[in-house]
Amino acid sequence: MRALTTLVNMLFRSWHRSWTAVFFGILFPVMLLLVFGSIFGAPSTPNYSLYVRNLDINEHGKASQLSAAFVEILNNSVFEVILLSPDETPRQTAFAPLRILTIPKGFTSQLINRTIQTRIDIMIDTSLRFVEMSGGEIGPEERENITRGLSRLRAFRESIAAENVKLVLEGSPDDPTLQPLAGVIHTLASRFEMALLNATNSIDLETVTTVKRQLRAVDYYLPGYIAAFVMTNGVIGVSGVVSDFRRRGLVKLLATTPLSKTTWITALIISQTLVSMILLTVMLAMGWIVFRISALPDLYSLIIILVGTVSYTSLGVLIGSVLKEPGAVSALSNAVAFPLMFLSGAFWPLEIMPELMQQIARLTPLYYFHTALRQTLIAGLPSEAIIPSAVMATMTVVVFSLAYYISKWKDF
Amino acid sequence: MTILEAVVVDKITKIYGALVALDNVSLRVRKGEVFSLLGPNGAGKTTLVEILECLRTPTSGEAYVMGHSIRDPAGVKRIKEVIGVLPQDFNAVDELTVLENITLVASAKHVKSDVRPIMEELGLWEVRKRLFSKLSGGMKRRVGIAMALVGDPELVFLDEPTTGLDPQARRETWRFIRNLRRGGKTVVLTTHYMEEAERLSDRVAFIVKGRIALEGGVTELVSRFGGGYVVTIEADDEMLLRVSEGGYAIEKQSAGRAQVRIGGWAEMVKLYTLLQSHGFDGVIEVKPASLESIFLSLVGARISETGDLV
Ligand SMILES: Nc1ncnc2c1ncn2[C@@H]1O[C@H](COP(=O)(O)OP(=O)(O)OP(=O)(O)O)[C@@H](O)[C@H]1O
Ligand SMILES: [Mg+2]
Repeated sequence: MRALTTLVNMLFRSWHRSWTAVFFGILFPVMLLLVFGSIFGAPSTPNYSLYVRNLDINEHGKASQLSAAFVEILNNSVFEVILLSPDETPRQTAFAPLRILTIPKGFTSQLINRTIQTRIDIMIDTSLRFVEMSGGEIGPEERENITRGLSRLRAFRESIAAENVKLVLEGSPDDPTLQPLAGVIHTLASRFEMALLNATNSIDLETVTTVKRQLRAVDYYLPGYIAAFVMTNGVIGVSGVVSDFRRRGLVKLLATTPLSKTTWITALIISQTLVSMILLTVMLAMGWIVFRISALPDLYSLIIILVGTVSYTSLGVLIGSVLKEPGAVSALSNAVAFPLMFLSGAFWPLEIMPELMQQIARLTPLYYFHTALRQTLIAGLPSEAIIPSAVMATMTVVVFSLAYYISKWKDF
Repeated sequence: MTILEAVVVDKITKIYGALVALDNVSLRVRKGEVFSLLGPNGAGKTTLVEILECLRTPTSGEAYVMGHSIRDPAGVKRIKEVIGVLPQDFNAVDELTVLENITLVASAKHVKSDVRPIMEELGLWEVRKRLFSKLSGGMKRRVGIAMALVGDPELVFLDEPTTGLDPQARRETWRFIRNLRRGGKTVVLTTHYMEEAERLSDRVAFIVKGRIALEGGVTELVSRFGGGYVVTIEADDEMLLRVSEGGYAIEKQSAGRAQVRIGGWAEMVKLYTLLQSHGFDGVIEVKPASLESIFLSLVGARISETGDLV
């Protein structure tokens, strides 16, 4: 027992004093989380700036009443309105999209005229319907009067020169929000028009926020990176330690003492478990500090990490034991770890990968590790983690047994 | 029952694929002696000691270490409790300090006593807080020796403990080994340095190509194989020709140097007179016959500084 604790202690000390081990085991995944979590993670607050060039002004440069009211409405909506003088062009800034809405000269007068026309149309239409519906109740004379009055109105309507008001929205073809924002402007304009007609809305829209939080990129990356780096720490790190201990004659020396192979492998697993716990703590702390993910590991997720650590440490022991040359060990461990990392979907959401890649991912053991961890640690769906963790447990039993029987304590 | 032999090797053969690394080897190491396995590279020294350390399984044959059979699992357990091992080309953990490295083996050996005395004896206590990677080559080797000696083992195996060390560090190591002998420990040493075996050991075995060419006490062997002296003469070819014409057998010759074996001082005077009569005024060196000369006459070759048979 004392031999085991001392061995664990010494393995852990030599780990934390090795700069590369700490860098690739802890700092590198944290950096990845920060970088990728920030790039894809926090949804960049969309930009709703809108330049408005109002050409409907009088000789003193004062905006007409209706155009000013319309700008006010825009500004009270999602838009952040920035006014431009008629001949001013805005400067392109950073990556913010540039959108310019031009309100034409004669906005107010045209709008008033069009409103009058519309009212007349409605009046004529309403009167005709009224006459039609009342049938015999209206005498021929009255009908005659009404028809005459209506044709007067029509003549008046024709006398008003009116075209549709034409707003112009300029934007970049690369701005993905240009079309939806054009729709918003159009809606606001229609409402404005309706208000001028004294009409009321008949359709209301209510927006409800559900309790459930949308999964963000960091939610995906966090358990993915933890699983991936528990894997690399085991496969690359442990195989390196084992082959280095072998090269130095330390395994031989230990094998000539009463220390057993079981104690040696157990010590490697326990020291790696400490490393995994540090990784977990640092990653969760970073996730909380930077991205405000509050994921507290429950017992189930801790067991999943433990099982993952045992299986990948065993794989490391296996690789470090079967090959003699340190160069070959590092080549093989890299050849195992990197494809696992990239194919399993630990690094990017599987949903965005082609179907074939998704199927390949399901063939990799790491897939079950990060899936199980995501379900317990992030999604809070332990029942979804049962099958993946069963797959993990099976793999652990197989790899551990192989490592135990193939690694040598004699006849090196 | 008290046993006198620390190690008994009985007809051990070890075959790797097609290579016979040890061919029917038998030998005995007595308790309390320093025993050297002397042989060139690839002779099978490491294979033999590692069989005794229970690290390799012999193809056939039997061996007993401190009275326990290496083939009996219970025996192996007992053997591991009483031996100390310095593997060939050993290096401790770079990222651990000297003390941590020694503590590591101490706990593996279930040692409860303080490791300080052995570290002090080897001059390691002052550097106990230094990382192993920061030590000089000689110091690194001392850490390896300390790791073999921690826990006060009765039998110590040192596989080429001085290979690659500078002369001063080598002499230091020799001093530690002599102290071990004085402390009553049995030491099995492998080496390809004649001088080392001759200076340190009570008994040696020459091992060449997996066979024991000769085994015996150092002084006994020297006298058995003629004793006498080896004279090294530095002279030109013509002078050397005169020497061999005078009836002396030249054993070894290289550019301007030759070695002649003589029986005693009377012969020495005769040789010198002969040389002088031919006008010799160069240097001659006289040494008692040694393991090296025995090895040469027995095997017909020398072991170079790097351990190769030449
Ligand atoms: N595990 C092994 N598998 C195959 N051949 C081996 C093995 N170990 C040693 N040999 C071979 O057995 C022979 C004896 O090797 P060994 O290491 O015992 O020699 P040695 O006397 O210790 O040499 P050195 O001075 O180089 O250490 C060599 O030819 C070596 O190549
Ligand atoms: Mg050797």
